[in-house]
Amino acid sequence: MDNRSLEQYAEDIYTCNRTRCGFCVDECPVHRIKGMEAYSSRGKMMLARGLLEGIIEPSTEVQEVLEACLLCGHCQARCALNNLDIFTALRQRMAEKEFYAQEHLKKVMKMLDAGRLFDRPAHLEREGTVPLYLGCLYQSKPIETRTIISVLERCGIDPLVVEEVCCGYLAEATGFHAQFEDIRERFRATYGNHSDQEILTLCPTCTVALTESHGLNAKHAILAVAERIGQLNPRQLDLQATYHDPCHLGRMLGVFDEPRDVLRALGVVLTEMEQNRVFSSCCGGGGGVADIDQTLALEIAKNRIRDAMRVGVENIITLCPTCEPTLLRGASRLANETGVFVDVQGVWDLLDEALN
Amino acid sequence: MDEAALDQAFRALKTVLGARATRAKAHRIGYSRDWSPRHSSHIDLPDIVVVPKTTDEVVEIVKIAYRHRVPVVPFAGGTGMGGGVAAWKGGIAVETKGFDQLLELDEANMMVTTQAGITIWALNEELARSGLWFPHQPESKRACTIGASIGCDNDSTFGLRYGKILDYLSNVVMVTGKGEALRIGRRKAAFSSTGYKLLDLVVGSEGTLGVVTEATLRVFPLPETRLVRGYVCRSLDDGLRSLERVLAGGICVESAHLNCRQRLHFYTHAYREKYQREPDIPDWAEAILFLSFAGDEDVVNFSLEKATRILLDHFGAEETKEQEMVDGWWASKHSLDFIPFRQKWPDSQREKKFGAADLGLPIGRVEEAYQRFLEIASKWGQDILGMTVYNEAPNKPTASISFAVFVDDSSEESVANFYNYVKEMSAMALEMEGTMSSYIGDGDRLGGFNELEHGDSYIYMKRIKEMFDPGGIFNPGKKFESRWITGA
Repeated sequence: MDNRSLEQYAEDIYTCNRTRCGFCVDECPVHRIKGMEAYSSRGKMMLARGLLEGIIEPSTEVQEVLEACLLCGHCQARCALNNLDIFTALRQRMAEKEFYAQEHLKKVMKMLDAGRLFDRPAHLEREGTVPLYLGCLYQSKPIETRTIISVLERCGIDPLVVEEVCCGYLAEATGFHAQFEDIRERFRATYGNHSDQEILTLCPTCTVALTESHGLNAKHAILAVAERIGQLNPRQLDLQATYHDPCHLGRMLGVFDEPRDVLRALGVVLTEMEQNRVFSSCCGGGGGVADIDQTLALEIAKNRIRDAMRVGVENIITLCPTCEPTLLRGASRLANETGVFVDVQGVWDLLDEALN
Repeated sequence: MDEAALDQAFRALKTVLGARATRAKAHRIGYSRDWSPRHSSHIDLPDIVVVPKTTDEVVEIVKIAYRHRVPVVPFAGGTGMGGGVAAWKGGIAVETKGFDQLLELDEANMMVTTQAGITIWALNEELARSGLWFPHQPESKRACTIGASIGCDNDSTFGLRYGKILDYLSNVVMVTGKGEALRIGRRKAAFSSTGYKLLDLVVGSEGTLGVVTEATLRVFPLPETRLVRGYVCRSLDDGLRSLERVLAGGICVESAHLNCRQRLHFYTHAYREKYQREPDIPDWAEAILFLSFAGDEDVVNFSLEKATRILLDHFGAEETKEQEMVDGWWASKHSLDFIPFRQKWPDSQREKKFGAADLGLPIGRVEEAYQRFLEIASKWGQDILGMTVYNEAPNKPTASISFAVFVDDSSEESVANFYNYVKEMSAMALEMEGTMSSYIGDGDRLGGFNELEHGDSYIYMKRIKEMFDPGGIFNPGKKFESRWITGA
């Protein structure tokens, strides 16, 4: 990733201020909860201009607004400006001025020190022919991850799993540019010998990082499964559900049809939420928000569960190790409040069930 | 502003709203601009931002503001073109999008009661689930709220069939200057000949009489079919006269927009990108009239055919074969199925911004006004974007006109000249027996000139203001003052 300077985006920032269409405001998942303009993309563009012009200075209030951004890209889908790059540049500017969350710094330091974001209870390696990057979240859940590897095997894929280091997404997203550069160096040293190979991935966020920040040829494993599912004769599941597009997998990587195709091949009857595909609404787990404001993340997750309830389904299926637990927390809390529980399941679990 | 009064007011607001009241500049800056032309570095910071959720909370806010004589400036979509939400005298910015709940959908009576902070887009998404819609739809409807539409009496794509916001309104709840929540207007009847029509005062009052927190509105069944067509006309006058003839023939037209040639360029970026050429418009065409028809398919087909015959046979117009251009224009007007700066505005707004004089004129003066527009805009060095005539009253041609230019907002001189342009255009409107503003409102532009337009009745406007707002706290600097335009 290049060092992001706010100044390089001045034209976009002024263009937003000059136009003020407001397409980004009402549907922003954070603005829906917080209600103040600053949390929307248009509001953050005003903040960016204020910082550029010296009208405002970095402060804890500015920090709070920027750290509440999910970096989910919903605003960018409604706009052709470089919204996410600008927000990342804003966070970087703030971090440079020592305005950052200690929780984020701790995680970034762990990435630097240990090469990983979470503890890894087991050593996951496998001989194979197709490089598979698991990512820190899956590395931290070896039982589930072994199941996914087993699913891939049943799909005729021969995964190669080697020693991994963290992709560093969180460091980049939270504005720790210098630290991210170190993480990237380490990543290159570890994964550089796969730079000419296609790498399958499990985590949508890692996929974006591997592709955009590390320049690797990464492809989410669901695409490989979708290519093969037609020949696998899976057991038909009796399930009516909706599919939640993870922000990174959908909006940012453009993977919308393949997960749905796989689910339909398993006999899942899908009903779309109103906010779907490129305009899917974030689960609340993006941008490092949950690290510092779990209440906000939970409220956003509850809103996403309400989106599903609105179309009359009781099952949400998704394909992201962040979305799944975040939505499940939202569903559980909402069930306490309403008495209605919307279950949240992962595509890999359903594949495991159907391919058994 | 009196800092001590602000401090006391803020402390009181915190006790009512907690974290939903703030003095942080990080939040105040979000409320420092609307879409009106001003120098790119110019902002108006309110002193306090509050996000109420209910009428009761607004009542408490206004009581506090009245007690401490702190201005109250309602803020909604922030897309206004006249500086209506500019808190240039400081005070409390009331973020009205916090009250956005639909309160009652009364399908039997085809009425909806909603909190006023709901966006028109969100309201229509809710209504669509019941096969209904609310056709008052300005282009800004993704951000514009019901309260904002009431406040500035803005335009609507479908004005020709359904009129403006007042045509839908039965009543509102408005919190007045001492913190009383009044229900103003009728109940659910379509009309009333009792009492005075106070609702008419509220519409277009731009937050100077109170904060509107609820509204009861007429809704309609979603049409089954819609067809949109474009007709090139030999003159602007021909365009309006042909519309008069179509309506006189008994045809129901849902929307009609008459554009000069130049204005079309603003809407056709996607077309040019795709075909690498301008749409095929005959050299003789001076105007393009877009019509939409909506309803049952057979009726729509018949109406379209009949209207086309009138336009072609009686006025020498041609139906454009560039349907993709027509669809692209409609997307930018109604469906909003476009990405800003990709399909629309990429060839504008990055360097200069849209600005307009929004005159209301007698329909017979449009051609003459267009020629004067070209002269006046050139005189003040404004890049001409073009003219659109909006039809904003049910079943009759009207001339609510956007005379638009590009303003170089990096230049103080260019911005000042824009307001000189608006001033001279406004004078022209009065000379032509029209109005200075037909959909933007006074904002911080025109209030100081209302005496010119309204003559002796202007003093009654001041008295009305004093009755509703005895402390003079609501949106000061609007309706009775001009900030950017000075002189006689």
